[in-house]
Amino acid sequence: MRAGFDSDALLVRGQGGFLADLDLDALDVCFVRSPYPHARVQSISLPGGRGLTGTQLARLAGPLQVDGPGLKAVPWWPLAVEKVRFVGEAVALVWAEDRYLAEDLAEEAEVEYEPIPAGPLHDEAPDGVLYDGQRAGGDLDAAFGRAVRVLERTFKTARQTPLPLEARGVVAHWDGAAGRLTVWTSTQVPNLVRTALASSLRLAEGDLRVIVPAVGGGFGLKAHVFPEELAVAALARHLDRTVRWVEDRRENLLASAHAHEETVRLRLALDAQGRFLAVDAEVTCDVGAYSVFPFSASLEPVTTGQTLFGPYALEAFRLRALGLASSKCPAGAYRGVGMNAAAYATERMVDVAARELGLDPLELRRRNAIREFPTATAAGRQLDSGDYLGLLGRLDAPYRELRRQQAEARREGRLFGIGLGFFNEHSGTGASEYRSRGITTIPGFDSARVRVGEDGSIEIATGGADAGQGHAQTYRLLAARELGVAAEKVVVIEGDTDACPPGSGTFVSRGAVGCLTALTEALREVAEKDLAPGLEVTKLVDPRQVFPSGAHLAAVEVDPLGLNPRVVRYLAVEDCGVVVNERAAEAQVRGGVAMGIGGVLLEEIRYSEDGQPLASTLLDYLVPLAPDVPEIEVEHLESPSPLTALGSKGVGEAGTIGAFAAVANAVADAVQAELTDLPYSPDRLFHALQG
Amino acid sequence: MEQSLRVKVNGQDLRREVPPRLTLADFLRDRLRLTGTHLGCEHGVCGACTVLLDGDAVRACLLLAVQADGREVTTVEGMGEPGRLTPLQRAFLARGAFQCGFCTPGFLATGEALLRSGRRLTRAELPQLLAGNLCRCTGYGPIVDAILEATGSR
Repeated sequence: MRAGFDSDALLVRGQGGFLADLDLDALDVCFVRSPYPHARVQSISLPGGRGLTGTQLARLAGPLQVDGPGLKAVPWWPLAVEKVRFVGEAVALVWAEDRYLAEDLAEEAEVEYEPIPAGPLHDEAPDGVLYDGQRAGGDLDAAFGRAVRVLERTFKTARQTPLPLEARGVVAHWDGAAGRLTVWTSTQVPNLVRTALASSLRLAEGDLRVIVPAVGGGFGLKAHVFPEELAVAALARHLDRTVRWVEDRRENLLASAHAHEETVRLRLALDAQGRFLAVDAEVTCDVGAYSVFPFSASLEPVTTGQTLFGPYALEAFRLRALGLASSKCPAGAYRGVGMNAAAYATERMVDVAARELGLDPLELRRRNAIREFPTATAAGRQLDSGDYLGLLGRLDAPYRELRRQQAEARREGRLFGIGLGFFNEHSGTGASEYRSRGITTIPGFDSARVRVGEDGSIEIATGGADAGQGHAQTYRLLAARELGVAAEKVVVIEGDTDACPPGSGTFVSRGAVGCLTALTEALREVAEKDLAPGLEVTKLVDPRQVFPSGAHLAAVEVDPLGLNPRVVRYLAVEDCGVVVNERAAEAQVRGGVAMGIGGVLLEEIRYSEDGQPLASTLLDYLVPLAPDVPEIEVEHLESPSPLTALGSKGVGEAGTIGAFAAVANAVADAVQAELTDLPYSPDRLFHALQG
Repeated sequence: MEQSLRVKVNGQDLRREVPPRLTLADFLRDRLRLTGTHLGCEHGVCGACTVLLDGDAVRACLLLAVQADGREVTTVEGMGEPGRLTPLQRAFLARGAFQCGFCTPGFLATGEALLRSGRRLTRAELPQLLAGNLCRCTGYGPIVDAILEATGSR
């Protein structure tokens, strides 16, 4: 997408140009999806010449597959071949002149299934384990041997889905004469899509162009490559026609990507002063039917495992992380990824410990916070920067004020609770880190190119991809600052593999780490060369992981009759390093907190015992509405990262991670119960209060 | 099979033949190419497709085009032009009331209907009045601010 200075004014007139708005003469595709969670496909009968089965499409396009240490590689075909593994998995596709007619054809499709009552989903993984990994640091036995107290608890986070307001969509156009395929797709990772398509369709990368139109939100969902992208692209080449698929919300809820269904078992060793000595953890993630591309089934269990007790000094740490297959929609990235479950389980555990020890929760956190930076942790992380006591210190006065309010509320018999969420997170994972973990499906580097036009205009292109965060505005601010040009003169291009340097796209909050570092280096070189007209500078960086951190404070009131928790005050103190664009950073935090509120109070995709998903509309899958989100106060504490050009550390996910902990602790404090399983819905609170 | 439809859209009188099952949203988007009306769920919950029908905020995905016969529809394309944005659109820009912009036309329609209703809007009750529109990016605060700013009551 090419963003001129007036791109916001286009959005406020509805003229952003999202995927479904593209004015292309295209056939509409509709997928035929399985109503069974696990079944053999006996036969498929499609209306005359207007459809393809999984077996037929498998001849045109190969599967997605991720391999690596601890992983079982299982193929994920563009359409199911021989058997289906979750409700909503596509078994065939049909096409017609418009979407209405295509849906008519899908209705006419006859598919015979033979349900499989039991047995493994994948022959490659007979025990159902798609990922099994471990890590350890420090002397665990010694630390537990010295402990005066050991606490053991298990916490669960609910299955969710990112639910960008714009669902997925793909348009593909085959130019037979040039032998070139152009694919428009609503994605955060255009280069990854190109690489995966090239491999699946056996095309050279240079014969593929991936274009990202305006994207109506991603939140991790669009950081995957999906079977539908392969199927639509293969069909365009097969038919020699332009074809389009625009996902509807039912498909999006059943069959895009879910996330966050995790069980975290923690053993915490404490000394007499309440110091955390060691953590022994087991993280089990229900990853659904396939290993998502490019992140694999290791994504959430590993991310959660390595983030547990992140801001606290430990002597020893041990983790077992498991990704288990199930007959559910595959689980992938959703803002915060496994860091939400880590912050949730850790911070609930810290509150449990505070209560058991009779210590104030803020004081217990202060006692255990890491104080020296940079440092290496027992979990094996290299923390680049931080000021954790500074973060907690910012909460001190509002926390004490809220405790006073709470005492008053309790005297009146009201259920009023206060929660803290203290965390660090990793961002900007780079190529060397991925390679060291044996992951080859993610490039990991980021890039930026700056061109000076003959008229003095500045064109910026990066390997990132905007999903609605407003990258262009940040780049313009930076260009104006580094080059002294007017922001109006800067044009930004992202999400076009023909027009942009290659990169990893936008996920793991890498925009402010890799892309901004590459862009800053390029801008500075352009400045050194006095903005010579015609000058072009491209920079490629392999970012190193950096660690944003934050301390959040939430107050929640639960109405005693309906047991509906309502967040009444929210303060987020963020350390995302040097803030480049304050408005955009705060917008990221506020939107992130709203999603965290959803994760704690509302969002859940349940399945029945026989594998049927119970949320197929937005009346079943609840997300925060305006009355559910309070005014969110945001403060910045800047501890610059020494590893990025500007000292920035990324801010896309912090709000969500912190809110998972702070809101959960506030609800538990309000009802004075040891809550463990999300979401904290009224029925769950009712049972907790009964118990 | 097609049915005759007379409708005024953004001030323009139109006459079209449409299939009875065509939704108002698809009529606007596919037949008139007014793609500012976005589809977020197509089951009447998210509010992204909200348009004004005779001045009332309605969900274009839940109406058939033929139900708009003889009536007047205003979409985001009828609200403001480049350089001549409505006060509400200007407030959305000033307050940063959107990120991705996908929900924005729906919020603008809901907001316009509220502004035109003449009722006094307060910070305390406005979130409840916006509960029929979903936004996944902003956390809603800037949207509430923008609508209040447009009422001039802040």
